[in-house]
Amino acid sequence: MKSLAIQNLSKTYFDPYAGANVTAIHDISLHVKQGEFVSIVGPSGCGKTTLLNMLAGFIPPSGGSIMIDDKPVKGPGADRGVVFQTFALFPWKTVLENVGFGPCMRGLPKSECDNIAREFLSLVGLEHAADRYPNELSGGMQQRVGVVRALANNPDVLLMDEPFASVDAQTRMTLQEELTRIWQERRPTILFITHDVAESVFLADRVVVLSKGRVLEDMPIALERPRAWEHLIEDDTFKALSAQVLHKVRSA
Amino acid sequence: MRLLQHIWSIYLRVTSKFPALRSFVPFIPLLIAWTLVTELAIFPRAFLPGPVDVVNAFGTLTYKGVLTQYLEDSVIRLAVGAAFGIALGIPLGVLVGLSDRVRQAVWPLLLFFQAIGDIAWLPILLVWFGFSLTTMTLVIVYTVLFPIVLNTSLGVRSVSTDLHRAALSLGASKLRVVWEVVLPGALPNIMTGLRNGLGYGWRALIATEIIVGTSGIGFMMFDARRAGSVVEILLGMVVLGTLVCGRQLGTCAHRTRDW
Repeated sequence: MKSLAIQNLSKTYFDPYAGANVTAIHDISLHVKQGEFVSIVGPSGCGKTTLLNMLAGFIPPSGGSIMIDDKPVKGPGADRGVVFQTFALFPWKTVLENVGFGPCMRGLPKSECDNIAREFLSLVGLEHAADRYPNELSGGMQQRVGVVRALANNPDVLLMDEPFASVDAQTRMTLQEELTRIWQERRPTILFITHDVAESVFLADRVVVLSKGRVLEDMPIALERPRAWEHLIEDDTFKALSAQVLHKVRSA
Repeated sequence: MRLLQHIWSIYLRVTSKFPALRSFVPFIPLLIAWTLVTELAIFPRAFLPGPVDVVNAFGTLTYKGVLTQYLEDSVIRLAVGAAFGIALGIPLGVLVGLSDRVRQAVWPLLLFFQAIGDIAWLPILLVWFGFSLTTMTLVIVYTVLFPIVLNTSLGVRSVSTDLHRAALSLGASKLRVVWEVVLPGALPNIMTGLRNGLGYGWRALIATEIIVGTSGIGFMMFDARRAGSVVEILLGMVVLGTLVCGRQLGTCAHRTRDW
């Protein structure tokens, strides 16, 4: 049972422009169970991207610890997959090669990598685009590839850094619904960073509100699954929860 | 007016069927002008031979095997120098591009030595190594090196951080990130560096052959000056122009995937 334990995490760095130390994360403790979908939401500058970068291992923490199943996290690795706001697909590789990248890095033979890639591409209905290049795809399609590329590597945790912020609103809603569908099918552990309050409530089991580097609230979301925008947009519970989160985010 | 339009439409139709023609047509007026100037003897024939004389010289020298030998010598020298330059330049460029510390330590030095320029090294290389193949090769390596290093490091730095991080989070080791992400990402810039480097290298080669020369196209042109044989000088120039220009036109038609 892989669980993610964040204990008293802090991050301070020296800002050359301010000429002083800046504390981005003060003291964050969080526990995420296997298969949970947690949204992290907060105003700009609250430290959510810093938090994700530390979880992914891209930057080292200043204090505290991050453990996956009691094993400390040191640097980036295949156990923590990342989905980027900028998609970050490799432009010189085909869609199939992109999605098969993770298995390839593990040393699997090419045919095996291709099979895994096709399996995951069919999850999002993109098998027909397997031999296309990323610049031939729309933004929504590119991010779908980004998501399955991370999933194909079977990470312990999927870290998503405002992944739908770069796509248009309609596509965003479609992608959100697709993400919940994939999650229900495969049950990965997901940490979803966003600044969009409604998105955070729509997607998650739990919403963590961050502000100025601290956890303000850790709220369970008691909405039924599967979740669809057409129903929830009129649903009273959804509206109440969104209002609660918004209030908390703004109160900071 | 109608006649010009008619001619233009014929030109477009023919060149769309034979695109290579587009490269040759602009030279026709030049050749015509050249022939006219020589036939009208505006300059003494000995100073400016006509195109026919140059073609004859081309035929004679190729027949004697001189031109082919000289061409071979020049090209081999360039190839050897370029090979060393590339083998040194690309890794150095990658290192400078990836490591901020290396870059800060090395960048001003690179700019300074690039500014000195290849030919300025010739006197001291002649002192150290004499009129030898080593001297010539070193000049070419030096000339080819800098465009490659500078362009490669530029290309490496242009690869976005997110791409690095994506590869790392998919389980690639730092070395594999260089191979799978940094090098392909920097490739367009590396190609630019190669093209520039080879262009400068070729020119430096000709200049070096003139000074150090025992054989080669540059030597041929300079030696012909002493013999008073202007035809061979012109022939050398035409050969140079065609070789370098032909390569450039080839690369233009070359498929470049834009990424």
